[in-house]
Amino acid sequence: MKDTNLDLLKNDSIEKSYVVETQDLKKTYLMGKVIVHALRGIDLKIEEGDFIAITGPSGCGKSTFLNLIGALDKPSNGKVYIDGADVSTLKGNQLANLRRKVGFVFQFFNLIQKLNARKNVELPLAIMGVNNKKRRKEAEELLRIVGLGDRINHRPTELSGGEQQRVAIARALTGNPRFLLLDEPTGNIDSKTAQEIVTLLKKLNEEKGITIILATHDQNITNEAKKIIHLIDGRIEHTNFERGVN
Amino acid sequence: MREGLIKMKILDVFKYALSGIRVRKLRTFLTTLGVIIGITGIVALLSLGEGFRIEMTGQFEQGFSLNTLTVTPGGGFMGFGGGDDEFYLLVNDTETIDEVEGVNIALAIISKQVSISSNNITRSVSVVGVNFTQYSEIYGSTFLAENGSIPFSPANDTIILGAGIADPWNNGTLFASVGDKINITWATGPILNPITKSYIANVSTILKEIGGFGLGGPSDNQIYIPITTAQEFFDTEQCNQIIIQLIDSNQETIDSVTSEIEKLYDDKVSVISPTALLSTISGMFSIIELFLVAISGIALLVAGIGIMNIMIVSVLERTREIGILKSLGMKDRNVLTIFLGEASLIGLLGGVLGIALGWGVSNVISLFLSVFMSGGVGGGFDTGQQQAMALSITPILTPTILFLAFAFSLVVCILFGLYPARRASKLNPVEALRYE
Ligand SMILES: Nc1ncnc2c1ncn2[C@@H]1O[C@H](COP(=O)(O)OP(=O)(O)O)[C@@H](O)[C@H]1O
Ligand SMILES: [Mg+2]
Repeated sequence: MKDTNLDLLKNDSIEKSYVVETQDLKKTYLMGKVIVHALRGIDLKIEEGDFIAITGPSGCGKSTFLNLIGALDKPSNGKVYIDGADVSTLKGNQLANLRRKVGFVFQFFNLIQKLNARKNVELPLAIMGVNNKKRRKEAEELLRIVGLGDRINHRPTELSGGEQQRVAIARALTGNPRFLLLDEPTGNIDSKTAQEIVTLLKKLNEEKGITIILATHDQNITNEAKKIIHLIDGRIEHTNFERGVN
Repeated sequence: MREGLIKMKILDVFKYALSGIRVRKLRTFLTTLGVIIGITGIVALLSLGEGFRIEMTGQFEQGFSLNTLTVTPGGGFMGFGGGDDEFYLLVNDTETIDEVEGVNIALAIISKQVSISSNNITRSVSVVGVNFTQYSEIYGSTFLAENGSIPFSPANDTIILGAGIADPWNNGTLFASVGDKINITWATGPILNPITKSYIANVSTILKEIGGFGLGGPSDNQIYIPITTAQEFFDTEQCNQIIIQLIDSNQETIDSVTSEIEKLYDDKVSVISPTALLSTISGMFSIIELFLVAISGIALLVAGIGIMNIMIVSVLERTREIGILKSLGMKDRNVLTIFLGEASLIGLLGGVLGIALGWGVSNVISLFLSVFMSGGVGGGFDTGQQQAMALSITPILTPTILFLAFAFSLVVCILFGLYPARRASKLNPVEALRYE
């Protein structure tokens, strides 16, 4: 409430274009007769190359926020701009195309069980209409980057939780997305594997300059993030700029 | 990213649909089974019906003279309904009918069931008492001699055998041949204590094979004796029917003679023309065919509802998958195509298998019918009556039937898959992902 126009960047350059920008973002759900306020007005600007951790207690609205900036859901109020485009004005196919600019990684991996690792990673490329040869090459390369070069033909059921999450990250990285959204990426894997995922994300951010926004409870990830946003009950409670590199 | 380029290849969409089918083999098979049964039924019925129709037309065309009328006692169609038990047609009624304008020949027929024996073999046949000269004039194309000749002034004990009587096994082992003597026995009176009469007849002629039912005309499974012999042996002046040959086959002649004769007998007789009979019978067959097709249609409808049910379940259990696909940027249209693709693959498979199976089933039925109808199973002379229906249906698979069955299978599957597929494509990705 106190920071209705929070500008994380404190940057003087006015022409700066943001990867994601939200204005007074609100989301309410109707559960029977009860109105649930999941988000109560979020203003945020995310710059290219950011590594942002969104923290807060369970139910504070982290997933809801990620879904909205990933164009998976529509806000009840306010605006989401992705790459400068107002998501609320987009319809069906345009919305689907926009989702191709976002790499989404879910807490429960959400891999297609009947497809092997390579086919799972290829799927977004197939959806984009990339030809067989090209997408196979890209998928194999991405699987190598996430450290699964030797698990290419394994089905999700033949992979550990950490391996499945890495397949999901490889899938999210296909087609050079503008940013990665990760919803509690280490929530369902052991701490050692979680550490490996954190290292991978940090590497992707630092070496490839990939913008990362993630929701987490995990102190290990929070420690690595450049910026931290703490949500409580659908509002930004505080941010941690001290840790920011900017 | 250029929007024009973001377009999933249709081949990839279908491959994805196929992968779904491969994973759920049993479920898919069971769904397809419903379609297969429906299509099998339709194909079997239509191809048998088509074969039957062609067989029937062929049968009727044989021995059917368009310029004939049949007069039988009793009003109404073929003696059904409104019959007057006290009314009989007499042999000498032909004299009255001969006077009617437009009548060329009027011929009385007495027919009875008798048993005939030769070489210790006895069988039951229907005997026709008729004037040979007039009969061969009316049915010149079928009442023809194979052995011997048609006697135009026959002796009292003359008998002519149909081809099926002389050579019942159709293999040259003859029941009787020209010059043989056969014993004719007629039983009358109470069934338990019948009075029997017999006489020895002299085979003068064996007829050429006619084929067909011989409705209204000569048939392979009858024997023929002079009308005068019949009157004397059966001790009757009543005849079963009077066949009329008209001067031509114009509809006006048919109509005027028909009404004249009906008036003459105070509507106590029915006058039937072969064309009317043919159209009545073929009308009956179309109704039967329609009925059978309707049954298959219902089977297919049930299969269709089954498909819808399976598709709805499939959409429900794959809600999460749909959520993933949509979150990865798959368009509604492609999600729809995946589910419709699944449905049409089921339709395609069900169509092909159903047609193959239907064809097999109709051939088996046809084989069964021909064995049963020809009396080959029951065998021997006791089944002589069944031989009167020596009928073999060769199923025919016309391109129309093929196309119909295939199109029907596809249409049913797509139609019933449409609703669940649309529902799947409209799902909100977040809600779909929350689905357990
Ligand atoms: N589809 C929904 N229907 C109703 N309530 C929802 C729905 N999604 C989330 N909520 C509610 O919104 C609030 C925020 O949820 P969520 O964003 O999932 O929180 P977090 O991810 O931080 O745990 C919670 O109170 C949750 O119960
Ligand atoms: Mg959450």
